[in-house]
Amino acid sequence: MTVHNIRHANTRHADSRHGDASDGAVGGRLSRVDGPAKITGAAKYAFEQQLDGLAHAVMVEATIAAGTVRAIDTRAAETAPGVLLVLTPDTIMEIKGASDWLGNPPTQKTYSPLARTVTYSGQHIAAVVAETFEQAVAAAALVEVSYDETPAIVDLSDAKAGDGIPIDVMTKEWGDAEAAFAAAPVRICAAYNTQREYQAAMEPHGLIARWQGEELTIWEPSQWLDGMARTYAEWFGVPFENVRLVSPYIGGGFGSKALALAHSAVAAASAKMLGRPVKLVLTRPQNFTSYGGRAATRQTVTIGAGRDGKIQSIVHRGVNETAVDGMWVEPLASVTSIMYATPNFSSKQNVVRVNTVVPGAKRAPGENPSAFGIECAIDELAYEVGVDPLEIRLRNYAEQDPEAKKAWSTRQLREAFAAGAERFGWSKRSPKPRSMRDGHQLIGWGVAAGTYPVRRAYGEAIVRILADGSVEVESSSIDMGQGTYTILAQTAAETVGVPADDVVVKLGDSRFPRAGVAGGSRLAGVMTGAVYKAATSALDQFVGLAISDPRSPFHALQANTLVVANGRITAPRGDGPDVSIAELLASVGRDRIEATGDTMPANSSAEDRYKNYTTIATSVPHTEGDYSRHSWCAHFIEVRVDEDFGTVRVSRVVSALDSGRLYNPKLAESQWKGGIIMGIGQALLEEGIVDRRHGRIVNNNLADYLVPTNADIPDIEVISVGIPDLHSSVLGGKGVGELAIVGVAPAIANAVFHATGKRVRDLPITLEKLI
Amino acid sequence: MRDFSYVRADSIEAARKATALPGAMLLAGGTTLVDLAKCGVAQPETVVDITHLKGLDTISVDAGRATLGALAKMSHVADHAGIKSHFPAVSEALWQAASAQLRNMATVGGNLMQRTRCPYFRDPSNFSACNKREPGSGCSAIGGVTRGHAVLGTSQACIAMYPGDLATALVAFDATVHLGQRVLKVDDFFLLPGDTPEREHDIRAGEMITAIEIPGSAAARRSTYLKVRDRQSYEFAAASAAVGLELEADGRTIRDLRVALGGVATKPWRARAVEEALKGKVLDEDTVRKASGLAMEGAVDHGANHYKIELAPRVVARAILKLGETA
Amino acid sequence: MTDQTTSITIPIHLTINGRDHSLNVEPRVTLLDALRDRLDLTGTKKGCDHGQCGACTVHVDGERVLACLTLAAQVEGREITTIEGLAGADGTLDAVQAAFLEQDAFQCGYCTPGQIMSAVACIREGHAGSDDEIREYMAGNLCRCGAYPNIVAAVRQAALEVAS
Repeated sequence: MTVHNIRHANTRHADSRHGDASDGAVGGRLSRVDGPAKITGAAKYAFEQQLDGLAHAVMVEATIAAGTVRAIDTRAAETAPGVLLVLTPDTIMEIKGASDWLGNPPTQKTYSPLARTVTYSGQHIAAVVAETFEQAVAAAALVEVSYDETPAIVDLSDAKAGDGIPIDVMTKEWGDAEAAFAAAPVRICAAYNTQREYQAAMEPHGLIARWQGEELTIWEPSQWLDGMARTYAEWFGVPFENVRLVSPYIGGGFGSKALALAHSAVAAASAKMLGRPVKLVLTRPQNFTSYGGRAATRQTVTIGAGRDGKIQSIVHRGVNETAVDGMWVEPLASVTSIMYATPNFSSKQNVVRVNTVVPGAKRAPGENPSAFGIECAIDELAYEVGVDPLEIRLRNYAEQDPEAKKAWSTRQLREAFAAGAERFGWSKRSPKPRSMRDGHQLIGWGVAAGTYPVRRAYGEAIVRILADGSVEVESSSIDMGQGTYTILAQTAAETVGVPADDVVVKLGDSRFPRAGVAGGSRLAGVMTGAVYKAATSALDQFVGLAISDPRSPFHALQANTLVVANGRITAPRGDGPDVSIAELLASVGRDRIEATGDTMPANSSAEDRYKNYTTIATSVPHTEGDYSRHSWCAHFIEVRVDEDFGTVRVSRVVSALDSGRLYNPKLAESQWKGGIIMGIGQALLEEGIVDRRHGRIVNNNLADYLVPTNADIPDIEVISVGIPDLHSSVLGGKGVGELAIVGVAPAIANAVFHATGKRVRDLPITLEKLI
Repeated sequence: MRDFSYVRADSIEAARKATALPGAMLLAGGTTLVDLAKCGVAQPETVVDITHLKGLDTISVDAGRATLGALAKMSHVADHAGIKSHFPAVSEALWQAASAQLRNMATVGGNLMQRTRCPYFRDPSNFSACNKREPGSGCSAIGGVTRGHAVLGTSQACIAMYPGDLATALVAFDATVHLGQRVLKVDDFFLLPGDTPEREHDIRAGEMITAIEIPGSAAARRSTYLKVRDRQSYEFAAASAAVGLELEADGRTIRDLRVALGGVATKPWRARAVEEALKGKVLDEDTVRKASGLAMEGAVDHGANHYKIELAPRVVARAILKLGETA
Repeated sequence: MTDQTTSITIPIHLTINGRDHSLNVEPRVTLLDALRDRLDLTGTKKGCDHGQCGACTVHVDGERVLACLTLAAQVEGREITTIEGLAGADGTLDAVQAAFLEQDAFQCGYCTPGQIMSAVACIREGHAGSDDEIREYMAGNLCRCGAYPNIVAAVRQAALEVAS
């Protein structure tokens, strides 16, 4: 186990500026290789490309939540200075229907990104394209729309919303949960609610679209180049190969940037109609309604237990909101069903249609709200039976996957509890609520666990060993801050045997070898596997040449193998030549060695490959084979609640996490901290607030939709307790990015209860709930 | 943003004259004007840039008074040694306002002209009814999302909360605003919405804020600004209090007390009832907490902002008690 | 449909990173859009366009301000510094830039130029005296990846280096 504490990290380490050789290997603390570009402003994000003739588009949104557009008066906008084009449902070019992200064919022949029938406030209904951004903005304000409004279902608590649609595939049952609950000596039953939350990446959504004949280039922040390229190709009826998606850096995604959206179609259509490249960037308010954040959820968790706190039954019911014309299921039992051993279990879930944009993926969709329910409920059980909240979790420890009835591939959760508790000082906790204070501040300590499944898929990469001895990696995968550039450099460096400084990684271009979605914390495992395979193959070719090519200085050695390390090639016993990679390549007359690595099953067809990279249909289940694969974590959190003001501040966090082997601990720790911080926002601040008369989010900006500032965040200590898990990935890593947010909100809610004696089951825990 | 013409004023006189141009608005820090122009709320035809005027950014402080040039930056005033020692509540109100960048842009004169954060006021394309923006059009906030709205000084026409911090401190210490010919108490400069919420300030055509003057006092020297909000920083107040305290020689009897509230009213809100109830009393927690409740006399909530009625007196009490502890 | 461009532009001269730039813009053009759309200085980021995030932080006459709420015309005659002008002419990183890399004080990198410009000013203002002071005086720069603890570490480290 390694303990990484920010307080200790101030002192200069060896890993500082450039990293030494060991930092460049897999598992080393190499600084981000894309860092220099990002700290100097040189990194050009997708829609920062400067193109000749660039026109600027601005969207016009619906101001009602339900109804139809009666008329759109564009006359004033059309004659405004600089205006090139005003698009309405009547004037936009025809766009074809595209298949969904599972690869299901379109249900409609055509797709209208501009709506005639309005199903949510903020839906796009028109667009204006002008010579300059300022002109487009001004003209867009001149578009006049009239509506025939109909009543809207504003949210889950709307009387018109009803109970929703049962989602049978979400039902999970074993034993007889109802009967066991009825018979249990201790019974807990409570309802837990999470609100609409938004990804709120600092880079807004947007794109530049350019047509050259039938070839379309899109510069757009993207978590999934190949999936989005497929959508564009289908929309505009051009071959997949004709669409090039470029996304060199992504200014944060958190689940929101994996799909081509309505505004994307409008930008590409207007570029085609005008014959000019068009840039369209959503305003910050539009970022709250142009794609979905996390759906609002409601759960009831009932636990039947013995007086010793051992769980006998869990009955769980969940509801999430979805759109009137789109389906989103936030799997609310994904943690409930696996975190604790229980002989009897029942979970069912409904979705309720409301007038909102289709909700979407936000960091740990499903696991995040699921953990809020079960991890608060078990805390309530702990107080009910008078057992320490940490002890009750150990008492109900699941030694195998209770749902799949399979062994865990690895589960270092017990180790996480132990390491976190030790570092946090949990044993000094005074068990009684409201028993710890510092002046006017009530102090509370809370614990909660989290988990995220290991989602596996396939990837492709090219590795080239070049004439100058450097190594080049190419893949259409992306780096939105997870560190893909860096860990793939480390993987190639270690596998080929060169310093990481000599590796150039090129990502974010759909012309490169294919990759699936950067979502579900799968990309690192997928792509390190692909790069490892490609690099191994390139190395084999290289060593093979060195051994067999008559011009090679090693030819006479008759060796079976050679060693490549630190950019040089030698015989295993060091008893032969010692030349650089560049010298060897020169000697055999080659300017490069190139290998493609792909982790698809060997018998995959071209169609299989296309489907794999452009849909999410081919993900490998985490319970495939004999094992159940998950990342795990335990959060220990201290809050300070002002007894007068009800304000909650997080003052200390210690989290111990099992993400398996870490490819780069420095970057993994940063992602963990980031997840914890987003969880603090969820727990205390974040909530899309709906005006119930208008069915509209009114805090659709960064002054009113509060995300944590630097001043809200204390020191955060993260401890890695993972061990390599080769059932989960080629190099032994499990998921990193989504894990750490799971369990933060319940740990905080539990700490607030400990501080105040008040159980808040509705997030966020704002001050009026405590005064 | 609608297009406008741009005039750079090279003298106060030129700036005043330029305000007579049709649709003219003064540009100082720009943190309100440019923001609201982007929202479509402010629609200037001419923007008169006064940021290049010389001599309007001076800060002079002695025990008797502070004089702040209208163009003095909020950050500079906050960090000014004299302000910190003679008017700590003013410094604290300033450094807790907005962000460091905004404080480097915003001027103290411009800050007095800061508009409400009411989301209905700020979004004309979605909410056409707003009496402050369009007199007679109605109020979208009443019956809507009101968590951030005022509970004091509201009217049937408007419940928009005044969001500033500086003016709350200024009102507590009887500061005045200089408008050229006229000098007004800051308390009088801000108007209640009544039937005319579009009129927020007593400022007339051709007038421009040139300076703010704060009289020194023992209460100002022993003062604080306590701001409570959901987020630790970079947010408007849920409730705040500017408080100044002067004790008798016995160290426990209140001779002078100043209390003003932010985040709860339609204008910076002087809580004279609290001051009067506590003057001459011995400072103890029960007395202070009881008297602080008087700050909410006449408060009316609109549902989600009810918590402010509970919260604000506690903020006042804690601020007074904190000053008492520093004896 | 017309493609008239009857908007009235005015000539302005800006001094950015020690270089003079002349451009014709409408008076409503902000410094941020002038930098990003007209001068190919895209290091300064647009996150909210309303002074709510800090991504567009630049220095004007040595002080940190928000380019999104600053009109380009307003800063004629001022010294403007953007992230592109922070490193030395020979590419030597500013102490803050180097500390951000070392402490991994960013992930996606989009808020980073604003964070760095803010941090340089924060140290210069004398507001980097303690971790709590750094947190407060860096609170105007939102980071959704959640690099805050590492940002505090980077600012603390750079402040010590600048002082020594």
